[in-house]
Amino acid sequence: MAIKFILCFNKQGIVRLVRWFELSASEAQRTQDVMVQIYRLISSRDHKHQSNFVEFSDSTKLVYKRYAGLFFVMGVGLQDEEPIYLSHIHLFVEVLDAFFGNVCELDIVFNFYKAYMVMDEMFIGGEIQEISKDMLLERLSTMDRLE
Amino acid sequence: MAGSSLKSFIKDVRNSKTLAEERSIITKESAKIRTKLRDDHLPAEKKRKNIQKLLYLYILGEKTHFGQVESINLVASDDFADKRLGYLAAMLLLDESQDLLTLLTNVLNNDLNNHSNKYVVSLALTALGFLSSSELARDVYPDVEHLLSHSKDPFLLKKALQCMAKLIAKDVSLLDTFSPELITGILNNHSLCSHGVLLGVIKVLQSILQSFTSYQEFLVEDEDEDGNGNGTHAKENKVAESNQEFFIRILEPIIPVIPHLFMVLQNLNAKNFEPDFDVQGICDPFLQVELLHTLSLFFQLGDELESSEILQYLNKFSDVLTQIATNTDANKSTGQTILYETTRTIFSLNLDQPLRILGVNILAKFLSGRDNNIKYVALNTLLKVVPQEPKAVQRHKKFISRCLRDFDIFIRKRALELTFAILDEANIVELVDELLHFLERTTEDDKSLILFTVERLVDVFDMYPITNEKWQLQVFFQIMKLVGRHIASDKISDILIIINNAKNSTSKRDVLVDMMKYSLDEKLSLEIPEENVCWQLASIWCIGEYVDILLESQDAALINQRSLTDYLCRCNTRYNEDNRLINYTLTAALKLSAKIEDTKCLEDLRQLIVRHTRDPDLMLQTKSVQYELIFRQPKAVKRAILETMPNFEKPHKHEKSSSSKPVKPRNNQPKESNLLFDLLQNDNGSKTSGEKKQPSSIPQSDLLADLFKGTPSTDRTSSRSSADARGIGLLSQSASETVQLPTQSVKIHDSDSLQVFTHLLSCGNGSSQLEMYFKALQPIEEIQSFCAVPKTQKLTMGQLHPQNSLQTDDVCKQSLKITGTGKLKLRVKVNFNKNGNPVNQQFDYKFDGSL
Repeated sequence: MAIKFILCFNKQGIVRLVRWFELSASEAQRTQDVMVQIYRLISSRDHKHQSNFVEFSDSTKLVYKRYAGLFFVMGVGLQDEEPIYLSHIHLFVEVLDAFFGNVCELDIVFNFYKAYMVMDEMFIGGEIQEISKDMLLERLSTMDRLE
Repeated sequence: MAGSSLKSFIKDVRNSKTLAEERSIITKESAKIRTKLRDDHLPAEKKRKNIQKLLYLYILGEKTHFGQVESINLVASDDFADKRLGYLAAMLLLDESQDLLTLLTNVLNNDLNNHSNKYVVSLALTALGFLSSSELARDVYPDVEHLLSHSKDPFLLKKALQCMAKLIAKDVSLLDTFSPELITGILNNHSLCSHGVLLGVIKVLQSILQSFTSYQEFLVEDEDEDGNGNGTHAKENKVAESNQEFFIRILEPIIPVIPHLFMVLQNLNAKNFEPDFDVQGICDPFLQVELLHTLSLFFQLGDELESSEILQYLNKFSDVLTQIATNTDANKSTGQTILYETTRTIFSLNLDQPLRILGVNILAKFLSGRDNNIKYVALNTLLKVVPQEPKAVQRHKKFISRCLRDFDIFIRKRALELTFAILDEANIVELVDELLHFLERTTEDDKSLILFTVERLVDVFDMYPITNEKWQLQVFFQIMKLVGRHIASDKISDILIIINNAKNSTSKRDVLVDMMKYSLDEKLSLEIPEENVCWQLASIWCIGEYVDILLESQDAALINQRSLTDYLCRCNTRYNEDNRLINYTLTAALKLSAKIEDTKCLEDLRQLIVRHTRDPDLMLQTKSVQYELIFRQPKAVKRAILETMPNFEKPHKHEKSSSSKPVKPRNNQPKESNLLFDLLQNDNGSKTSGEKKQPSSIPQSDLLADLFKGTPSTDRTSSRSSADARGIGLLSQSASETVQLPTQSVKIHDSDSLQVFTHLLSCGNGSSQLEMYFKALQPIEEIQSFCAVPKTQKLTMGQLHPQNSLQTDDVCKQSLKITGTGKLKLRVKVNFNKNGNPVNQQFDYKFDGSL
């Protein structure tokens, strides 16, 4: 059980955040293609009626959710439990929202390095490491002040 | 704009009006960054700015490799801001395979031991969790170990624990020096155990439990290479020894953790509200799910090692699971997540039946809800558990059928697979009706689902003895009518075989006449679209084959010599591009001519054939020339040559039934026999239905097999295996009631009561199909088999066929499909009852091939 990658892109498919935790050699050669495929697959789905899970390759399935104009996607193993990763995504978005104060796409565009900081405090090596929102926010605001 | 800020750069990119403008801004900036980074005297602040811009370029998908070295330089800086950005850049720009990682090792060593600033340590740990190669793992392991034993800060501990889990997974040999007390010590110190630290501890446990298999695999492989298979005994000893050692040194100290984890899990589950960890009224579902998963790994290993130390807790675990299953709120999605993990645990450990039924009921409840996410996972899981609890799943067929109507195609697909998985003799009529309803509603987008359904239906009718033939024919009549245009040619042949083999002549006639109505009647034929080639093909074939039956019909106004002839002529002109259809038409025309009197019709049919004697397609031309020869023969001769097809046995049924096949008297003359021989030889290459009498020199069924399959004489085994392979999956089957051991199978296990053989049907391109055969040497009952494949592979198993209880020398088989990568190997565990006593046996087998 580990997240293979976290992706965030907007409705036009422009990538806003990307983090590969685990990459097979062949995928590493063509990460751009992989992201384009993921975008095509997910943007073509019906977001009202279809599930938030989709099989992507013979080793990876995607768990994704759209928040306003942004898609958050996690790649996980075929044997992994999908619903919990949906909760992961939701928690991540909640923390981003609290950290930036009503987060929008532009916050992430201009402060991508802070968004990565949030990601790295929540996930380590593809595993969730902290669940408490308060603890995360306290830690993040301290780190934000460190220069 | 020299030295512009990151913000203005991002703005410029965003504001560009055209793609070309954007490209030029990016290229310019990228070149500028490249030059700047080469400048050693650049002030730190400027350097940071350039790296930040580079990271933005990375997110945009630009080439950024030239920044890798600079990012490591930043990491090595003493300035915190530099270091932070450096680590971020390293994590984005480097990957685990690069040599540059070795440059990082030293810095990591230093940072992990930085006692003055915990944020530096935290950055280093984050990077380590992300970027560990196995060399790096060995180099920094002592540092992480030191942190675990000395740090009292939960903030660092949770990260260090996660890193430890990664390091062990990266390099199993680290377990040699690993001391389990590190973990148990932390767990017993309540002041340290925040949820984050608990998560970390659990991850280390998972890593240890999972590494056991790879550790052993590694040993076995090692032995294989120098032992070459003859030191099996020594190998077993060695493996047993290493198991023992692993057990005493690593596992034994962590086993007492199990009741502790129970307690944590139960407490979490029972908690009503804890603001810090509450997700929709459920307390920390993340931790609960991880706990369940870890416990499940414990007991899986306990099963594998038959360790009473671990398994003594199994009853208690069942109680805990029951408690969770009953107490968790199934109306919230987080509650469902926990329930889902609970059912997964129940089935992966194959716990007692009451729990399994509880699990199935939970899943079925998910199906009845409106949340597609949970429906999707429930269907997936039900599909996996059908072999364990077929009856319990069948009880929920209403919900499953409802999912066939779902909006989401993936849910429909899963529901479809599940429908076939639960189908059996008792519910076949009901479920096939559901499937027909499903086909009725399909659209163009559902092509793959349609093909799947038809294919499986053909198999299903092959497998279960059908008493009501008329119903069966009507089902296929409906299928062809509804979705004929999507059906692949080999499936059409299968359907024609089913029509051909129907024994009850009245029901056959009724259905055929119905079918003809749709083909011939002007109004009704509008319901059959022109693209429905399958329908046309079947109609043409039936006209050739069953003129006699059709002309007996009451409806002479519609079905008569004239209308049948006209239909063939129409098809001939309408589909003149489709060689396969023309092939069928030619044969049907020839056959029809042998059975009608009307001279005008006969002349039309002759013309139809003659017209193709100049066909640009060589096959059609040859065929029509030869048919024309036959056409001119006297009627009696023709009739004899163009007899109705005999009962056709599918190739994979052949072995069993060849002896019972009626041998038809042959009365044609030698000369024609030769002529026919020539014809048939030609036919091997073309896709045609063969409705000719067989010359004695060719065995009947082989000939028919070739003709029907439309393939140039494949050898019998390969066509059989491809036919069998289609039946793979949960509904695996063969058509015959008793299974025989194929000659190519290899013995992979031998005991006094049971032998196991395997036969590899195909292997390569990431997927493999194989069959296992269980042969009883004594009467045994209730065989259950469990298989495991390496982690990189996924296994789908069929059911045991034909039954799971065997008399002496009986054989049953099971189909397996493996997808993934790596060497093909299996670990098989077989449980069965012998004289009422349970026996279980386990063995490994390694195939020659790789996926």
